[in-house]
Amino acid sequence: MSQRTGISNVFDERLGDSTAFTAVAAVGALSLLATFVLFVVESDLASVALVVFVAAAAYGWLFHQAETAWGLSVLTTLVGIVVLGLILVFLFLEAEKAFETAGLSLLLRSAVPVWSPSQGIYGLQVAIHGTIVTTVIATLIAGPLGVAGALFISEIAPERVGELVKPAIEMLAGIPSIVYGFIGFAILNRYLFYELQLNTQGSLFLAGGVIGLMALPTVVSVAEDAITSVPESMKSGSLALGATDWQTMKGITLPAAFSGVSAAIILGIGRAVGETMAATVILGNVAGEFPNPIFDVFASTATLTSLIASQYGDAAETQLSALFVAGVVLFVIVMFLSLVSQLIERRMRRQLEGDS
Amino acid sequence: MSNASERGVHRDHSPLLPTVSAGVVGLSFLTFVLAWLVLFPILTPSTQLVGGVTFYDVFGLAMLLCGVALVGSGVASRTGYVPATPSATAGVTTGVVLGVLGFVVTGLFVSQTLGIDGPMGLGWFLAAFVGGAAVFVATVAPREDVGSTVPIGAFALLAGLVVLLGVIGDSWTWNPSGLAATFSGDMAVPVVALVVSLLTAWAGAKAYEGFGARGRQLGAYMFVNLNAALMLFVLFVLIAFIVYRGLPGVLRGAAVGLGTGPEVAFGLHLPFDVPFVTNSYGLRNDVNGVLPAVFGTIWLVVGAVVLAVPTGVGAAVFLTEYSREGRFTQVVEIATNGLWSTPSIVYGLFGLAFLVPRFGNSASLLAGQLVLGFMLLPLVVITTRESIKAVPDSYRDASAALGVNQWQTIRSVVLPAALPGTVTGIILGVGRIAGETAPILLVTSSSMSPFPASRFVPRVLSGFQFTAQPPFVTNTELLQASSALPYQLYALITAGVGAGAGSDADIDPWSTALVLLIVVLTFYAVGIASRSYFRRRLQE
Amino acid sequence: MSKTDTDSRSDTQTESQPLVDHTVEGETSEEIRDEWTNYDFDGEAKLSVSELNVYYGDDHALKDIDMEIPEQSVTALIGPSGCGKSTYLRCLNRMNDRIKAARIEGNVEFEGKNIYDADANLVELRKRIGMVFQSPNPFPKSIRDNISYGPRKHGDIDTGLLARVLGRDDGEREERLVERSLKQAALWDEVNDRLGDNALGLSGGQQQRLCIARCLATDPEVILMDEPASALDPIATSKIEDLIEELSEEYTVVVVTHNMQQAQRISDQTAVFLTGGELVEYDDTEKIFSDPESQRVEDYITGKFG
Repeated sequence: MSQRTGISNVFDERLGDSTAFTAVAAVGALSLLATFVLFVVESDLASVALVVFVAAAAYGWLFHQAETAWGLSVLTTLVGIVVLGLILVFLFLEAEKAFETAGLSLLLRSAVPVWSPSQGIYGLQVAIHGTIVTTVIATLIAGPLGVAGALFISEIAPERVGELVKPAIEMLAGIPSIVYGFIGFAILNRYLFYELQLNTQGSLFLAGGVIGLMALPTVVSVAEDAITSVPESMKSGSLALGATDWQTMKGITLPAAFSGVSAAIILGIGRAVGETMAATVILGNVAGEFPNPIFDVFASTATLTSLIASQYGDAAETQLSALFVAGVVLFVIVMFLSLVSQLIERRMRRQLEGDS
Repeated sequence: MSNASERGVHRDHSPLLPTVSAGVVGLSFLTFVLAWLVLFPILTPSTQLVGGVTFYDVFGLAMLLCGVALVGSGVASRTGYVPATPSATAGVTTGVVLGVLGFVVTGLFVSQTLGIDGPMGLGWFLAAFVGGAAVFVATVAPREDVGSTVPIGAFALLAGLVVLLGVIGDSWTWNPSGLAATFSGDMAVPVVALVVSLLTAWAGAKAYEGFGARGRQLGAYMFVNLNAALMLFVLFVLIAFIVYRGLPGVLRGAAVGLGTGPEVAFGLHLPFDVPFVTNSYGLRNDVNGVLPAVFGTIWLVVGAVVLAVPTGVGAAVFLTEYSREGRFTQVVEIATNGLWSTPSIVYGLFGLAFLVPRFGNSASLLAGQLVLGFMLLPLVVITTRESIKAVPDSYRDASAALGVNQWQTIRSVVLPAALPGTVTGIILGVGRIAGETAPILLVTSSSMSPFPASRFVPRVLSGFQFTAQPPFVTNTELLQASSALPYQLYALITAGVGAGAGSDADIDPWSTALVLLIVVLTFYAVGIASRSYFRRRLQE
Repeated sequence: MSKTDTDSRSDTQTESQPLVDHTVEGETSEEIRDEWTNYDFDGEAKLSVSELNVYYGDDHALKDIDMEIPEQSVTALIGPSGCGKSTYLRCLNRMNDRIKAARIEGNVEFEGKNIYDADANLVELRKRIGMVFQSPNPFPKSIRDNISYGPRKHGDIDTGLLARVLGRDDGEREERLVERSLKQAALWDEVNDRLGDNALGLSGGQQQRLCIARCLATDPEVILMDEPASALDPIATSKIEDLIEELSEEYTVVVVTHNMQQAQRISDQTAVFLTGGELVEYDDTEKIFSDPESQRVEDYITGKFG
């Protein structure tokens, strides 16, 4: 940046400079676009365009840092949207073949087996059923226990205990899913197999339980945020009327934080739906037939996620495409849950802002 | 129902009810712990204790005692023998809990013991419904001191008698129609004891405070505190168990002392040697290790951070500093939250469809770095945004009032102030992606053996080559498949290297899990510690 | 919220919330004479406070307060900000238990027994010593539910499906209670056609009267008010003031205010707290404002400082 000291320079007069910069900016933008397009069409030239972009950005950074910083920040903002768009496009593109071959029988097939790659039968109903069962079990665990944990940290525990429990729960979230899965596989699977004399190692029941434990920290931390954001004056108002702390939590705090707490549970459900490795390792990943009867939670079928993770490796073309359909189903469910929880959270923020 | 005599600001003194109730809570707690110990067969239920007494008898006796004490407390309070401040009814929550219990018990009794199914299986259902409804009414209709003790006490009595008389005992089994599971006495008795002990502890806690609002508070707090304690306990047990099983394998052949470790440079050796971490798999090794996986994870994390951190920080700066709240920021926000909740396996599929064909149609380290970078991106955006928002506007105003332009202000005032929060968020995010398995499985490691040899250690820095044709720069190391710690564990599991089944030369999955856990939890510990450090400094 | 923890994290607490400020200028060191605070009145004392000390960590927020509060009258607590008058008020129904850094010593006798005794029943205490806060804090519920919240929690009113099935529905009693409380708080005429509406839709003044009605519904004997009109406009303020005067016929009202005219208008006796957490003078309101004994009090009420 050029040094200016005179008072007349309150108005910027760097016209010449700015044309040169515009040119460089245009080159940068075009070369980045070219990089992207060339990469998508699988051309080796993408790297050349990338080098041009880097050069333009470096020039801009050295001589017009403020403007370049602005431009780069715009570009980085677009990355998230582009990635989400690409995920959407490529999932659907890859899923198309299975849809062409199998049509709606992918989701609506009634004959058994519903999934048998060797016979060219690709139906996802059993996996969807498995996902539903494990998610319900996981939610029954993570929902109530998670909200109770959030209440403990934000309302009940003495400050020092809360400061200890909160990081511990985050640590619980940090344990990789494959480790949970391994413990489920090596210890709990065997345990239930022998103790309950099951027919198979692995069960939806156990997978759901482990996934519930894994979704628990998400529910705790999001619900805790919601509960903490309820104004202290409301709680004092209730206590001053002679309500107990517990009555205040039930009668005032939780209802006021209702939206945030439900958003927490929805996010937890989203985590449970998408959890992969624990289910893959614990379950037998057989997706041909429904458990008999359908509510037998001790059957060892598959979830959508575990079906993908266990079968992508030796999948032929159509089978792989059918696995992409499973990915599409997952993606749609999770996006829907994410949108709902955002809507709910926004409502909560508006409500509480209106209150104060 | 308050009447004049109860309107005292001070409580009546009579130690009888609190003493008995404390006894019930204590006994229930012991039963609860004992039931878990028996359930995870640390103790064998049919062990003969003193005088031929088994754990079955202990459970039965404990439940019987709790039941008697609870029924007694309820009656004593109702007749006014002990002072209490009960509400008019035990409440819907208690009623529903006990109603469901009544439903289950009656249903099981009618369908399993009596074997009545009725037309279309409705017979047992009707009976169960009637039973549940009866218990519900018995709970909510009388005054709270009776409603919250007598039904639970009666249930505990019943369970205690059933166990004591050996109706459900050593040789008892039950195979419910419709479930693949068979329940034995070893399983059923501790489970019944668990349920009963929770209920009796609940009722005991209420009675301890003389029922009423304060009693319910104590009852609820007991559950909430128990829940928190159990979460801590689970965390502790998980970590302790993996350390216990994995540590011997990790330390096999380990040595501490000058010059024992592998050479770093110029003849300098590390002062310690942990062959499990520094060795690869080889037939002639004394101790086989997971070095390729360790390096794979390191390079994956480095690549993801290089991609996601500048991008995420840039986006956060744009969203908070440059743009106004509007439709565009809203779209970005929705996209960011969407990316954050997209399942990891979907990222893997995306990498498989989009990246793998463009990197030579095979699994590669680079594809894994990009996919993990995309996964890390939303987390960086969200946490950086939060910490930039937390920078007070007065800082920006002060800088602007000195005539500093917006970018200079962002660079020298806003970003430094937001640095601690950002760094913390990134560390926690890295911990998360370092443990990710699903996407790696699809795009980076799909063909890797669970026993990777030393040639699979990615040597990224020496892998760059310059060529005359586009793309001018290549790095075969980046375009090669690589192992990674979480994948390594997965591969060992699917290869059937189960718990403790392998020989000495095998790579122990428990040790792999321990190394993975150490890596991931170190990131978490550092992240959490730095966050609380910076928070405390802000408060001062 | 256990009391064992009251001394934890004291430094950060006091620094982030400067509850006591010793730096107000114009303070002269002057002996406080016992007779200035020994207020003689006819009738019974509803609350009698003796040797009350409050500490926030190392900060001595209230020093040796002795004070008897007569029943069925309005007692005003005035003083410059940071003098501890609000802290004092919150000691009277143990709302300070919520502040973990606070340590409270001394006696607050209600019906001849210390409310800080270990066996005190907080529920009963707060039911009978109600409180109205500085800014209106209605619950995000309907007007009706706001009023019946307290009685419901105390089990005095029971509605809902279960109660109806068991034939002990108190719906009618609830309606009567809501009407009575709202009438007492002079709000009935304004809201009787929309009892089911969310209370957050009311104006600030209406919200504060709703909070008073909510407090009356639990049938208290003492009502503590912490600057109840400071967040309101003049018209709403005068309505609240009229209400306070009416309430004193039946209830014992203790009101904190920083507005000396307000204290003069509504109170029977006035206690002046000055910086440092000391009760300097306590007497008939008339006497305090016309002929105070203490030089510092005179300086304060004539506006020389504070």
